[in-house]
Amino acid sequence: MKQIRHTLAFNITDGIGHLELNQPPANQMNAEFFSEFNKLVDELRVMKGLKAIVISSKGRHFSSGANVEELLEQAGTPGERNHAEMKENWNTISERNSRSFLFFEETEIPVIAAIRGVCIGCAFELAMFSHFRFCGEDAVFGLPETTFNLMPGLGGIRKIAALCGQAKAIELLLKGNTFGAEEAQLNHLVDKIVPRRKVVEFSMAFARKVMKNYKKQKASLYLRQIPLDDPFYI
Amino acid sequence: MIDKKIKDDIGIIILENPPHNYLQKPEFIPVSELREWIEGTHLKALVISGSGRHFSGGAKLDSIFTMAEAGEPMEGQMEKGKELLDYLQDLNIPVAAAISGVCFGGGLEIALACHMRICSENALFAFPETNLGLMPGLGGTFRLGERLSLKNSLKMILGGDIINAEEALLLKVVDTIVKDEEPLSYTLHFLRKITEGRPLKIINYVMQALKNSKRLPAEESMREETRMFCDLARIESNRRKIANP
Repeated sequence: MKQIRHTLAFNITDGIGHLELNQPPANQMNAEFFSEFNKLVDELRVMKGLKAIVISSKGRHFSSGANVEELLEQAGTPGERNHAEMKENWNTISERNSRSFLFFEETEIPVIAAIRGVCIGCAFELAMFSHFRFCGEDAVFGLPETTFNLMPGLGGIRKIAALCGQAKAIELLLKGNTFGAEEAQLNHLVDKIVPRRKVVEFSMAFARKVMKNYKKQKASLYLRQIPLDDPFYI
Repeated sequence: MIDKKIKDDIGIIILENPPHNYLQKPEFIPVSELREWIEGTHLKALVISGSGRHFSGGAKLDSIFTMAEAGEPMEGQMEKGKELLDYLQDLNIPVAAAISGVCFGGGLEIALACHMRICSENALFAFPETNLGLMPGLGGTFRLGERLSLKNSLKMILGGDIINAEEALLLKVVDTIVKDEEPLSYTLHFLRKITEGRPLKIINYVMQALKNSKRLPAEESMREETRMFCDLARIESNRRKIANP
């Protein structure tokens, strides 16, 4: 049975699952998105025959992350409701979201984020939970949460520290600034910059190449095998 | 021996025993005094630097031998020094070392306990202990081993080689080399830039989450991160309600 989804699309071709965020142009990751996303991840956990996952988005941008207004509304505690119960519920929802993110790190098949345009906040967190990140030259990254008096909350702090080291992580987290593709690559936050129009195509081709014997080698070894200057690689 | 200052909510600790700023004892500042100062003044960040041209040459050899010969409880002194470095590393505010000139032995151990190391082009790093029949004793072998491959750690610790700023950056012993500016003024400016306008609670939470990510299993550290995030979201949500009822 084909699942009806509004905020995202999931299609399988030749064993490669293609997850697309589908609320262009910003592809905001709102409560409705997370509800469908969590359901999809639960299906993926038990899905047989999947050999790789590529995550991308419809339209110009990857995603601008969470909807801060909606999120604060949910977090707030209206006086008439039971404070403790609300608090409990909301923590549970947020934890569920972060467990779904962790699935992409822990799964045995390669997960590739194909990033065009803006990729900030929890969208960047999701991308960091992938095993590989390829982006267009126009990509913009950042974890701006602290500029809203918040902090990344779905495991992004753990991921960014592992990728770019403690000192850089402190800077990027506290400053909350955005930065471009080249700076991201310099800090090991993306693996390769490809022409914007080719990001998804490249990621798919890469998925086909690595899915056969993934996990026999380390992720970094796969990356070293990409001929960086070969225009005919795809 | 130690000069403490505060500028824009950033604490500055200067190791002061020129010219080489040798450390008189492992616990170069009592932990209790440091804690009182940091918590009492609500510091948002901390920087450690040396007076004059050098960071610190570490412990002076004859003072180590005097300490050993005197039959003093040397282990106790070393333990106190280690507690101090652990305290610095565990602080929930960014702690930076601003390094110029020599950063040897115990000096390097202090720098490695900081969250970031920023140095001048003329900075030099070494663990010369093994050349003198000793070894690093304040957690330096452990902290260096966390950052370097075993091969490079051994080269520095057993070889006792002196490395310059460029090599230190390549090995990731330091995070940044500063050109045309004093490392201390650069570091102060940098710390102000990343902490300005950030409530202390957010700085504390982010630092705590970074610490958790190193020490806790993935799921546990993420649960804690989410918990802290939810706490901040509730505070911010209520703040906005009060601001715009």
